[in-house]
Amino acid sequence: MKRRHYLRAAGATAAVALAGCAGDGEETTATGGTASGTQTLTVATYPSYVDGDESPGAWLKRKFEAEHDGVTVEWTTPSSGSSNVTEYVQRKRQGAAIDADVYLGLNTDELVLIDRELDAPLFAAIGDGLSHAGDVTEGLMVDPEGRAVPYDTGYITPVVDATTLDAVPETFDDLLESRYRGDLLTENAQSSDTGKAFLLHTIHEKGSDGYLDYWRDLLDNDVRVLDTWQAAYNAYTAGEAPMVVSYSNDQVYAANEGRDLDAYEVVFLNDEGYANPESMAVFADSDVPDLARSFVDFVLSPAAQNVVPQRNYQFPATTTGSLSGTYAEYAKTPPTPVTLTYDDLAGHVSEWVEQWSRLVAQH
Amino acid sequence: MGRTVVPTGRTALSRRLDGVRARAAGVADAIGARGAFLVTCCVLLVVFYYPVGTVLVAAFTHGGDPSLAPLWTTLTDPFYFGALAGALADPAGIPGAIVGWIDAGFPAVRTGLFGFTAFLALLGTAGAVAVGLPGAYVLARYEFRGRETIRSLTVVPFVLPAIMVAVGFTTMFGTNGALNDLLGLVGFHVEVAFGLPIVVAALTFYNAPLVTRFVVAAAETVDVRAVETARTLGAPRWRAVVDVVVPQVLPSFLAGVLLVFVFDFMAFPIVLALGGLRLATVEVWIYSLASDLRIPEAASLAVLEAAITLALTYVYLRAERRGGRDTVAASIPRVPLLGPPSAGRLLALAYACIALVLYVGPLASMVAESLTRGGSLSAANYAFLLAQQLGSGSARPTVAVSNSLLFAVGAVALAVPMGVSVAVVTGGEGRLRRLSGALLMAPLAVSGVVTGIGLLRGLVFGVDLFGYHLAVTGPVAIVAAHAVGGYPFVVRNVAPLLARVEDDLVAAARTLGAGPAQAFRDVTLPLVAPGVVAGAAFAFAISVGEFNATIVLARDGASYTMPIALERYLSNPSVGPYLGPAAAMGTVLLVVTAASFVVVERLGGRWER
Amino acid sequence: MSLELAGVERAYGDATALRGIDLTVRDGEFFTLVGPSGCGKTTTLRCIAGLETPDAGAVRFDGTDVSGVPPEERDVGVVFQHYALFPTMTVRENVAYGLRFDPPAEGSVDDRVTELLALVDLKGMDERDPDALSGGQRQRVALARALAPAPDVLLLDEPLSALDARLRDELRLELKRVQRELGVTTVYVTHDQSEALAVSDRLAVLNDGRVEQIGEPEAVYENPETRFVAAFLGENNCLDGRAVGGETRGSTVRVGDTSFAVTGEHRGAVTCCVRPESLDVNATHNRFEADVADAEFLGDGYRVHFDWNGRPIIARLDDAPTGRVTIGFDPDEAVVLER
Repeated sequence: MKRRHYLRAAGATAAVALAGCAGDGEETTATGGTASGTQTLTVATYPSYVDGDESPGAWLKRKFEAEHDGVTVEWTTPSSGSSNVTEYVQRKRQGAAIDADVYLGLNTDELVLIDRELDAPLFAAIGDGLSHAGDVTEGLMVDPEGRAVPYDTGYITPVVDATTLDAVPETFDDLLESRYRGDLLTENAQSSDTGKAFLLHTIHEKGSDGYLDYWRDLLDNDVRVLDTWQAAYNAYTAGEAPMVVSYSNDQVYAANEGRDLDAYEVVFLNDEGYANPESMAVFADSDVPDLARSFVDFVLSPAAQNVVPQRNYQFPATTTGSLSGTYAEYAKTPPTPVTLTYDDLAGHVSEWVEQWSRLVAQH
Repeated sequence: MGRTVVPTGRTALSRRLDGVRARAAGVADAIGARGAFLVTCCVLLVVFYYPVGTVLVAAFTHGGDPSLAPLWTTLTDPFYFGALAGALADPAGIPGAIVGWIDAGFPAVRTGLFGFTAFLALLGTAGAVAVGLPGAYVLARYEFRGRETIRSLTVVPFVLPAIMVAVGFTTMFGTNGALNDLLGLVGFHVEVAFGLPIVVAALTFYNAPLVTRFVVAAAETVDVRAVETARTLGAPRWRAVVDVVVPQVLPSFLAGVLLVFVFDFMAFPIVLALGGLRLATVEVWIYSLASDLRIPEAASLAVLEAAITLALTYVYLRAERRGGRDTVAASIPRVPLLGPPSAGRLLALAYACIALVLYVGPLASMVAESLTRGGSLSAANYAFLLAQQLGSGSARPTVAVSNSLLFAVGAVALAVPMGVSVAVVTGGEGRLRRLSGALLMAPLAVSGVVTGIGLLRGLVFGVDLFGYHLAVTGPVAIVAAHAVGGYPFVVRNVAPLLARVEDDLVAAARTLGAGPAQAFRDVTLPLVAPGVVAGAAFAFAISVGEFNATIVLARDGASYTMPIALERYLSNPSVGPYLGPAAAMGTVLLVVTAASFVVVERLGGRWER
Repeated sequence: MSLELAGVERAYGDATALRGIDLTVRDGEFFTLVGPSGCGKTTTLRCIAGLETPDAGAVRFDGTDVSGVPPEERDVGVVFQHYALFPTMTVRENVAYGLRFDPPAEGSVDDRVTELLALVDLKGMDERDPDALSGGQRQRVALARALAPAPDVLLLDEPLSALDARLRDELRLELKRVQRELGVTTVYVTHDQSEALAVSDRLAVLNDGRVEQIGEPEAVYENPETRFVAAFLGENNCLDGRAVGGETRGSTVRVGDTSFAVTGEHRGAVTCCVRPESLDVNATHNRFEADVADAEFLGDGYRVHFDWNGRPIIARLDDAPTGRVTIGFDPDEAVVLER
């Protein structure tokens, strides 16, 4: 069949490109005995996850293949512009081939979208067979139907330039004060993860009845809603405004760049930070479901959780994972992580984003 | 009436070449303009109309049945159409609403998202004309060192991704930007960040060269002898120039203005990057709805957007008249730029200052950004590029550069014949020709987001026909998609010039023994060459800067282009929000594109001769 | 090469350009199509060239029907009204263009071009660009270009209309000379009747898509067969009246209150046409009185405009009289046409 061959070729190219395991200094444990045959596990994810030798994807592939004789991990990175999982939703709907076994990179609201758009299941329930499932940090299991399992998480919160501000805001209501007029930069919730997370945080704080009034006040206070995190951050570093909605590990980047860390102070409003877990799931149509599940389990293992989330500039999803080095020093965790669950979002998130964006556009 | 070829002392090789050429001409004759046009339509069908159609059809169905409900819902949504939506929803209530409006003391009329987008497009077009037209004047009228180079480089801003332009503009015009540093010396300060002015400036940055290029191409085929004639009839010099030169240049100018308006109407990333969501346009909403898979709404917005832009194109085509007859291209004599001061030279100087600030400033800022790490001079960003090149990353700079160039060359090779055949077949009078002319501009008029989705669903997912699965991706599809995006530029540059070619010239060639294709090649083509070259330049630029279709079609991991590589560096987790590496790639993009243009135009210039 | 048009018709939408053209051009003849603008002469020429296809009728070259044969395969050379010189080629390249498709039977292309440029008196202009030439020079280049491939038929579409009067006269003679030298069958289109009379071996007068009359210039001038031809060629005083058969070999035409004696037997409503040069102050017959309205000095005489009871009369006289004058004409100088 042409399709299989084609995607395999695509995956093969990606695999070959990533198969640089020279000089990592570790011994690969050779398993004894001959393999009964080769199995291929195709994992779909976003391109930056597998970009280069130092990427989390490269490490996962190397280690997983070492531990599973005769298994080849092929990464596939379908890029269609915005969210990548929507491509699979469209494929499922149109009856086009889905040649992946695992999807890595789901946000909670994407799960909502999947369930809204599809009747037939795209992902299979992960079941009870995972040995490390119990290690997952409480509050990060977002899927009531047990399909999605988190592999890392990030916290979104404002980052401020403490060198130019007299006082650093501490609560959401502080942001409405006139001394912060025109000072806050946030991103477009329609397309940006950080923008959407911040919006959801305000909804968590003010409720779905009150958030629009809050944003009306914020807009009266000249908050700027820019496009991407990069665009907003560029404006921030150029000194256009002293506050930007960003990630709680921003100081890691600033330290890497050699910048003054006081200009990049991470602020947890109400001592909260919005948790944005990233999840993985097994495709319902996969023909290697057991292998896929063992991959998921592997990602949750302490060995993986000690390495992979940090490589992705995120935080571990399990209690057994930990950060190391300067990353650990500069990445900040909020005292109270906050997140909206699947049930909170289902049926509402599209409407919330639409109402919010209309409010902003018409202000 | 046989013709016998008798040896006339030419070499065997030249005779064989003549034979090949004759056979090619014979084939071309047989295919003819109509045949080329048909091939063009087939390519368009496969790579554009079918994919886009599969998406836009959602605007015309509701629950599986044909329906105008999605469109109607959008039309009557005041968020999109403001007061017009209310009028459409409740026509009977219009008088009452007007009375209420008068009573309320004439408050501002809400124009909705479409109204704002049109307003923004209007401002952007005005800016492009204000900056582009004087540029055309300087290039057409004056001779100076580097004139050809600058003319070649006019198209370069087109290829830059929005985020790079945003970086450049923020660094140049921002609160702590270079301009404010300069103005600060004399005590001035401008606050333009995030507002309408800076977005309009960015739109001008992108599109003023379009106006310049179109007008310069037309100016190079103007017949100025008539200026002398007008002067002997008593007209003052400036009046003679206006009466003679302007009508000949006007069609190309209007074509440029139309395209600028359409582009500004469809502008998306740059508006959000510099202006934010408060300056949202229709495209922003289409993108958001499409990302959320709310296709019927996105499709109806796209349909209405395309209807507006296509209607404008049709109106323009109606106004595009066949120009006066001019047999001979005696072009405008150029005077040296450096010389005794005159009104023209002072204008040129003022213009040079503006161009410096508007163009060189932001571009230099981007280059400076690429040489900065942590606030001080550093080559770390280029070291990053090198690491990407040598490592196992998914975006090697040299691969990206060579892919971009190869695709661009392929796209131009396809777009030029496509565009010329469409210009020939749809040129001339007649409603059918104008309608088809407008419809064939559709690749410009339809949202890039929708095109991307259409390509994904249509070409990438593939169709099952007769037991075979047909999917089209990879380099061939990319070249075709780029050509489709660029050929309208060839058409719009060539068509006005084609209209000015005297019919009798082709007739003369025919009576002398040339077949239709040969006559076209020998007589018509040299006369429209400036338009072909300008159109090809734009097609090249569009191909280099194209992102929406390429990201969908470049699935095999080896077909990535420079914009895609730039995007990868942007979302690289180790780099985070810092734009240094992306700026480095942006500088590479800029340099490669500029160099390509200079090289190509030198070659093209030799052919034009 | 002889040329024949049989029943050629051509219409554009509602407008009919040609309503059935029948004419024959003999081998080596200089044949002119003359008529007012819109009469169809250019359309006829383009049908001969193959640039337009007739809706009905046939065009024959030496008896062979060439309908459906595209222009590049008909052996015709065309000189267009505005010359249509290729602006991106030099004079030499222009003239040599046709030789690409039909190289000379003997000698080289370059020699042939030189030969033709000499023929039209443009030696040394080879490398000029068309936009550097005067109108007259361009016309010569256009002629040389059309003649270079030695066409069987030469077609000229008002080639002199864009030139000033003196140049026109000069070039007209040149054209005639070249044509006679080469012996090429030539069809010449013009709206200028004096030009047609001067240059043609035979001419056809066209009006509103029809051929009014064909013949040699003197014959057609002196014996017009329709009022249109009488009035179009040269100047003519056409007077409407009634004819009654007269005595021996003649008739009387009554115009208003005046009776004129004319030769030939005519009856009923007629038009009596008298050329201005036939009117004479000293004529003995057909005298009538008219008032001088205006007189134009022509160098070799006067054109005097008379008012004869409200009718304008033009006469060519040696002197310019004033006031009321008696003029007359010989009966056999008048041409009487049925109305």
